[in-house]
Amino acid sequence: MTEPWTVKYRPKRLEDIVGNRKAREEFLKWLQTRLSHKGGKKSALLYGPAGTGKTVTVEAAARSLNLDLVEINASDKRTSQVIERIAGLATTQSTLYGGKRLLLLDEVDGVNLQEDRGAVPSILKVIEDSAYPVVMTANDPWDPKIRPLREVSLLIRFRRLSARECLPFLRRICELEGVKAEEEALRLVAERNQGDMRSTLNDLETLCVGRTMLRVEDVAWLAWRDRLKGVFEALQQLFHSRDVESARNLVEEVDVDYETFFEWIYENALHQLKNPRDVAEAMDRLARAQLLMTRMKSRQLWSLLPYALELMTAGVALAGKGGVGYTQLKFPERLKYLSASRKTRTLLSEASKSVGRVVHASSAKAAREYIPYLRFILKAKREDGLRIAEEVGLSKEFLEGLTA
Amino acid sequence: MAYALWTEKYRPKTLSEIRDQSSIVNRLMGFVKARSMPHCLFAGPPGTGKTTASICLARDLFGERYQEAYMELNASDARGIDVIRTTVKEFARIAPLSELPFKILVLDEADNLTADAQHAMRRTMERFTETCRFILCCNYSSRIIEPIQSRCAIFRFTPLPDEEVKAYLMDISSKEKVALSEDGLKAILEVSRGDLRKAVNVLQAAASAGEKVTEEIVYLVLGSAKPGEVEALVKLSAQGKLDEARRMLRKMLYEEGVSGEEVIKLLHGQIFNLNIPEEAKVRLIDYAGEIEYRLTQGADEEVQLTSLLAKMFLEHSQRS
Repeated sequence: MTEPWTVKYRPKRLEDIVGNRKAREEFLKWLQTRLSHKGGKKSALLYGPAGTGKTVTVEAAARSLNLDLVEINASDKRTSQVIERIAGLATTQSTLYGGKRLLLLDEVDGVNLQEDRGAVPSILKVIEDSAYPVVMTANDPWDPKIRPLREVSLLIRFRRLSARECLPFLRRICELEGVKAEEEALRLVAERNQGDMRSTLNDLETLCVGRTMLRVEDVAWLAWRDRLKGVFEALQQLFHSRDVESARNLVEEVDVDYETFFEWIYENALHQLKNPRDVAEAMDRLARAQLLMTRMKSRQLWSLLPYALELMTAGVALAGKGGVGYTQLKFPERLKYLSASRKTRTLLSEASKSVGRVVHASSAKAAREYIPYLRFILKAKREDGLRIAEEVGLSKEFLEGLTA
Repeated sequence: MAYALWTEKYRPKTLSEIRDQSSIVNRLMGFVKARSMPHCLFAGPPGTGKTTASICLARDLFGERYQEAYMELNASDARGIDVIRTTVKEFARIAPLSELPFKILVLDEADNLTADAQHAMRRTMERFTETCRFILCCNYSSRIIEPIQSRCAIFRFTPLPDEEVKAYLMDISSKEKVALSEDGLKAILEVSRGDLRKAVNVLQAAASAGEKVTEEIVYLVLGSAKPGEVEALVKLSAQGKLDEARRMLRKMLYEEGVSGEEVIKLLHGQIFNLNIPEEAKVRLIDYAGEIEYRLTQGADEEVQLTSLLAKMFLEHSQRS
């Protein structure tokens, strides 16, 4: 079982492929037309970002139509002679059992023109002479060097997969691997990879190895992997800083936005500072900085920002008079809560708006002064709760979230 | 149609049905009689009848089809200058249909408007006085800019006296056939502090939980925050285990859905029992008040409350 997951879970059948259904159907239709010699372009060019299912679609289609797939990775074997020899075989001779062939030229935009001036013309020639369908893949179809190929081909676009599309697949893999994964954790993995299924699977495999449980914070770490060093260093410096200016400048130097930096400072000030007076002072200053940021946002008073930044950095740095501990720096645990409750929060804000309309109140007021009671009634006496829910127009989804 | 939600079902329909705030109601009735009114500013704490008075006034002035000439906007949902320049202006500049003398625009939570938006609003109020009268509702009139205040008749709504809240609750209980016990009533009065909306909401929630509304059930409704948890929170803080205290606070806020305002109220209640000098208690009370105020301003619950916990640690460490 040493196969990587990208191989192990590579879809075998067309219907198992995630996403891009239209593109898959279009390709299959073109292929069937070509095979029955009913016209259509002689070649197809499947294009789109990496990991969106181009090659796997070709493989699965060949399998389902019982075609012998002849594959040349254009960026591997660069010489036009190789292309011509292999392609020549594939296009002119019938297979051993008299079956049909499908010729795949993978990554045609990877052709290196410096090394191989003859590649594009020889591919064109193959397309021209071929008795069988020719399919090519590319990430960037607008690359000028493959323009001649583009012009003779049917273009089929593959789009990035949405996290929503990927989720059921990832969930199934986790089940098969015996890993219990939090929904939000899988979503984070998918989102991080921006619709590239191959790298999503690689990440998931890395994360799941040796685990039976995949939680949000495990993934959060992964997302931080690259930037962590910078944040740690900045925090180290902050807690040992003794002047206002250098502490304040850390906000500009660190590789995260100031709100995230705030979270790191807020998490760690409590662990680093030991003396009660220092802790209280640091926390007080953080609370004030946070208040300033709240005011800044709600009243659009952007000029308050510098004060907030100085309080949260220098204010904390200079609070540490009684010495700083050498406790290990910690990941802001709160971020996990905030991201996990994101869905709940969206549902809540929709519900609050809808309640607010009925009770003549703003959504904030509705959330504060109505929803908690409604929640209670729904638990205590469901039929009453449901009548009110209907009256104030609460969505089914929200109700399920409430009672779950 | 009868509303299922009691705050709506029992919301007064006309000014004469409003039992409290009598001096305000009398003046508003005067407007109805004269079929004229100035721009108004309704200031006062939540649940004292500002929105209800606006709706009743409009209905008394315009009749059942009052909604043709009446609009409610919520400044905290739709704040900012764009809404004032578009929505508000569109509504205000067009004269009402039929025989109605003018339109009424209610801007709820007007103290959430930015200063710029308030200035834009002031111009709109002046230009379209003929066609539209404004009612601005807010908790704190001090957050409304001076020029607007000077163009409005100011009405100060006060928290309802317990007697009035009691009368409302008794009335609803008898109509809804709710058995409201003496101690249950007392508990509701205590937690609602003159906020009628809260009182009615608590009553309805408590009534759904069983045969009889008792003190215990009322605290069950409010106390998604269990007092025991808050005691533990204070104890951990006093011992300087702030890390653990914060983790517990997170659990309450994010997993149990307890609101920050509930936590601060309970923390406040704990201050008296602390084993620290009286002077230190006063300092903590001062700070707790500041923190609660910040929460009403929308500040981050966890960060603010943690700061109070750290202050508790400090006061404990300085005993003797």
